[in-house]
Amino acid sequence: MGEMEQLRKEAESLKDQIIVARKGFADTTLQEAVAGTAVVSRVQLKTRKTLRGHLAKIYAMHWGAGLTQCVSASQDGKLIVWDTLSTNKVNAIPLKSSWVMTCAYAPSGNLVACGGLDNMCSIYNLKGKDGNVKVMRELASHTGYLSCCRFVSDSEIITSSGDCTCILWDIETGTEKTIFAGHLGDCMSLGVAPDFKSFISGACDYTAKHWDIRDGNCTHTLSGHESDVNAIGFFPNGNGILTGSDDATCKLYDLRSDQELITYQDATIMCGVTSLAPSLSGRLLLAGYDDFNVNIWDALKAERVGVLAGHDNRVSCIGVSSDGMACCTGSWDSFLKIWN
Amino acid sequence: MDELDLPQMKKEVESLKYQLAFKREKSSKTVTDLVKWIEDGVPDDPFLNPELMKNNPWVEKGKCVIL
Repeated sequence: MGEMEQLRKEAESLKDQIIVARKGFADTTLQEAVAGTAVVSRVQLKTRKTLRGHLAKIYAMHWGAGLTQCVSASQDGKLIVWDTLSTNKVNAIPLKSSWVMTCAYAPSGNLVACGGLDNMCSIYNLKGKDGNVKVMRELASHTGYLSCCRFVSDSEIITSSGDCTCILWDIETGTEKTIFAGHLGDCMSLGVAPDFKSFISGACDYTAKHWDIRDGNCTHTLSGHESDVNAIGFFPNGNGILTGSDDATCKLYDLRSDQELITYQDATIMCGVTSLAPSLSGRLLLAGYDDFNVNIWDALKAERVGVLAGHDNRVSCIGVSSDGMACCTGSWDSFLKIWN
Repeated sequence: MDELDLPQMKKEVESLKYQLAFKREKSSKTVTDLVKWIEDGVPDDPFLNPELMKNNPWVEKGKCVIL
């Protein structure tokens, strides 16, 4: 038997052992645990603001850690930092490459980042001395498009790419600290844990992976989806993973027991999930779909309890502010909307 | 999906060994904890409690502003 064949057999055996190990810890289901819990009553959120200004499809948005500012990226070649209360544009940053697919706001509020078909992650300093917003660093070494980026701090950022890897970068030196390889398909999105010690990635190999930021190891591979995992996010307490897929479903996975807990699906929903965000308590899951809507799910009972309908094209991104007071949606119709 | 070459396959096997070794906890404990965490947080979740939205910064307070 060749070495490759031996390794393949070993890998298959290990995967089977993981399945057996998981079964050993599955002594209850989420459905059983909430059998006596009532579904939440209908959730109706209204559009409070519409942020107008982009001239083309919006691909990404991210709330700042302060409670009312957010950044959005559009293929009109602009990154816009918004004051969502006044709807004013705090910054309108022209990009070198208009094929942007992601943007991120640093927790400090000092930096924003973006990237896309240029395969690079560009970091911008919002608090430069002369007031002009300039490119601070260009992080280039991915061999595929940049699908997502998220700051760990002002000095570190994690990127996910169509080259199937994620990278932890040192922003100061512009170099790669750690390469996270293992996905067998394009990495589509990532999320950083509330304690900043780990991150999760969703990919076109239909899986999500959980990684330790410091030692570079993958601790969990979560399967179950039947198509690309486009959207991913940590459950607010850091112990769960929410995923959204082209298979028209979202799933909740539990990291501590290494189980798939529940699937959010409905026979009437047949289009892909593009984005997702949990509410503050995690009781609600807001998910954006290709059919221009956002569905609000009772996360415990897996029933739809609301819809946000207002965009005239695909909802490409969604985020809930850090105090849970508002949800922002971005769409291919070029508008962002604030809902609560 | 990509096919792996020999060095990548070796890394994949190492990763699977590491993932197998993860210290799993019983779901009866972890799911109970998760449900409790959510239920404890629900009273503070603005989307589930209209009273928390009384002072909604995104809603205009009055019709006119004195400049």
